[in-house]
Amino acid sequence: MWSLGRPDAPSDDPVLIVDDRVAGATDDVLAAGVGLGMPRREAEALAPFATVLTRDPGEESRRFDPVVEVIEDLIPRVEMVSPGLVFVPIDGAVRFYGGEDALAERVVKELDRLVGHERGGHALVGVADGPFAARWAAATTDVGRPNVITDTVGFLAGLDLVTLRESANGDELIDTFRWLGVSTLGELARLPREALVTRFGSPGLLAHRLASGEDRFVDPREIPPEFAVDAGFEEPLETLDEVAFAARALAERLLKGLRASGVAPHRVSILAEAAAGEPRERIWRSADPFTEKALSDRVWWQLRAWVESGGVPGGITRLRIAPADLSDEGRQLGLLQDETSRIESERALARAQALLGPDGVLQGRAQGGRMPQERVAWSRWGEPLVEEDRDASAPWPGATPSPSPALVPPRLQPLEVEWDEGLPARVRLGTRWEPVLTWSGPWRLSGRWWAGERDADRYQLVTSAGAFLCVVSEGRAFLAGVYD
Amino acid sequence: MGIESVELRAPLLDLEEREEGFLRLQPGRVTELAGVPGTGLTRLGLRLLAAPSRIAPVVALDTRGWISPEAAWETGVIPENLVIVRCDQPQIWPKVTAALLEGVRALYAEVPVGAKEQDLRRLAALARARSVAVAMRPMGKSLPSGVAHLRLRALGVTWEGADRGHGRLKRRRLVLEASGKGASGVTRRFEVEDEGSDIVRVVSDVVVGETRRAIG
Repeated sequence: MWSLGRPDAPSDDPVLIVDDRVAGATDDVLAAGVGLGMPRREAEALAPFATVLTRDPGEESRRFDPVVEVIEDLIPRVEMVSPGLVFVPIDGAVRFYGGEDALAERVVKELDRLVGHERGGHALVGVADGPFAARWAAATTDVGRPNVITDTVGFLAGLDLVTLRESANGDELIDTFRWLGVSTLGELARLPREALVTRFGSPGLLAHRLASGEDRFVDPREIPPEFAVDAGFEEPLETLDEVAFAARALAERLLKGLRASGVAPHRVSILAEAAAGEPRERIWRSADPFTEKALSDRVWWQLRAWVESGGVPGGITRLRIAPADLSDEGRQLGLLQDETSRIESERALARAQALLGPDGVLQGRAQGGRMPQERVAWSRWGEPLVEEDRDASAPWPGATPSPSPALVPPRLQPLEVEWDEGLPARVRLGTRWEPVLTWSGPWRLSGRWWAGERDADRYQLVTSAGAFLCVVSEGRAFLAGVYD
Repeated sequence: MGIESVELRAPLLDLEEREEGFLRLQPGRVTELAGVPGTGLTRLGLRLLAAPSRIAPVVALDTRGWISPEAAWETGVIPENLVIVRCDQPQIWPKVTAALLEGVRALYAEVPVGAKEQDLRRLAALARARSVAVAMRPMGKSLPSGVAHLRLRALGVTWEGADRGHGRLKRRRLVLEASGKGASGVTRRFEVEDEGSDIVRVVSDVVVGETRRAIG
């Protein structure tokens, strides 16, 4: 974390920097009760004496760029979150520098040197398991003293609920937790997760995960290279207007392509080639999947920082944006046409879950199997989909052919079938016997004899009251599905 | 000169499009799927969720715990966007349905036997107010009049592909009767073919055309 000064701020007056929420404040403003992330109106009411300046993320990004370069020289794969905040995965670097403490000290030392050149800045460095804990490790330490957390869960347990404000989507959830008597992440983590999911749905689940030291679930998947978008410019882009236009167009193209495939990125890599100089690359990260506006803003901030700091001498000749992480959450969001729809759906499903219990609201994932009962892996809505333990793409010889029965009892149901010389003749449905008009099968199903399973034969029986999938084992018939 | 009937291609095309339209849910409207079990209405109801599932989560409300998502996926429903809600308690079914109507874009709901008329009317009003596309499949008697905008009644189903032990079930032909406001007050019959994938074809040649008299 880097404290970005504001050169245009009056030197001795209290200052409040805002967009729609508080982004920065001087000590005297903070002493008046203003907190970072607080709504602007509330902050202005608490500190009417402060000079209010509007935030300029593009300018902040430009001023933050030298800081990122210093960190990049020490550790590769720096991920920008916003001007002033970066995350760096340090697994490899720890071995190189001889430990987390040594690495953190080195980062602080190098950044201290920069302070001599950059007026007003100071660094806060935290090391912990996962971005959420690392961010708060940095936020709760002092300048020049890196905070290396060895017990992440223990560290998080002592934090106030307000730390969830940005990650768990707002104040309402936090206010409800407080009303219920929960004030720290530790108290929240001790609550049963199922109860939280039932009551609060996905935001509750996310809050509980963060409080328990399980950072946001990201499911990295192989990203086809064609998802990346790029643009070449015969006339190098040198003015900010040209760069802004190119940034927006490219960001829109990237997300449009991803949306067609039902995915959205959590991380993107932005690469710019200069007419005279080395290519520049920077990774930006977001806790939520990037929306078009969020991505356009970040691409613009980054390019502006490079252009204004002379990082792309001669202008930009080629731009490339590549997604770096596509998560399940991203996938879900990508399919939705608007954020409101997703939130409303989640609320509705959470209410249904509260009425029916967690096992009443389910999602399925395809998995391999020969019987319809085996071919769906169920998981509770709001929880990660269960890993498929049988490969759905494998051939599964002997599988019941499509179409699948629309109704599949969880367990085989006894079915009365009358046979005429070994051929199905009548089926008992309720109180009446329906003649079998035609049938297909039998298809042999060889059970795993070593696991106590027995062989069975499957039939598709067609009657005037519908078609049924029937299993016959040891002379007894069972209903396995209804082609309703 | 008197003309007994007029056959024009254009009106037939209109008719075909209209029947295709019967197989699309409309926001704020309830479509009733009426007919005895076994006539293919569950699959048809799941198929109606395919289009809305491309843009938002959709829900199948299952009162028996038997609905198979695999059949829904085959009809084109996006797997990640399909949620199955299981409610086997008729007394809370109206509350659960109302909760879902508050937020989801499209719902296929089995209606338990004994559902109260008053509850069904309230739910239809809620669907209108929230612009939710709803398909209801009554397990007992039909929905009260005025609840459904469109009523699709299954008249019969025939299967092709199975032949006394040979082959397998391949194609289903379902004869439907459309009525209600959504059918402009005119009762129409048409047939749909379902080949077990997301291809469901309307076969318009079974439409019972009305002989119209004209003077020319």
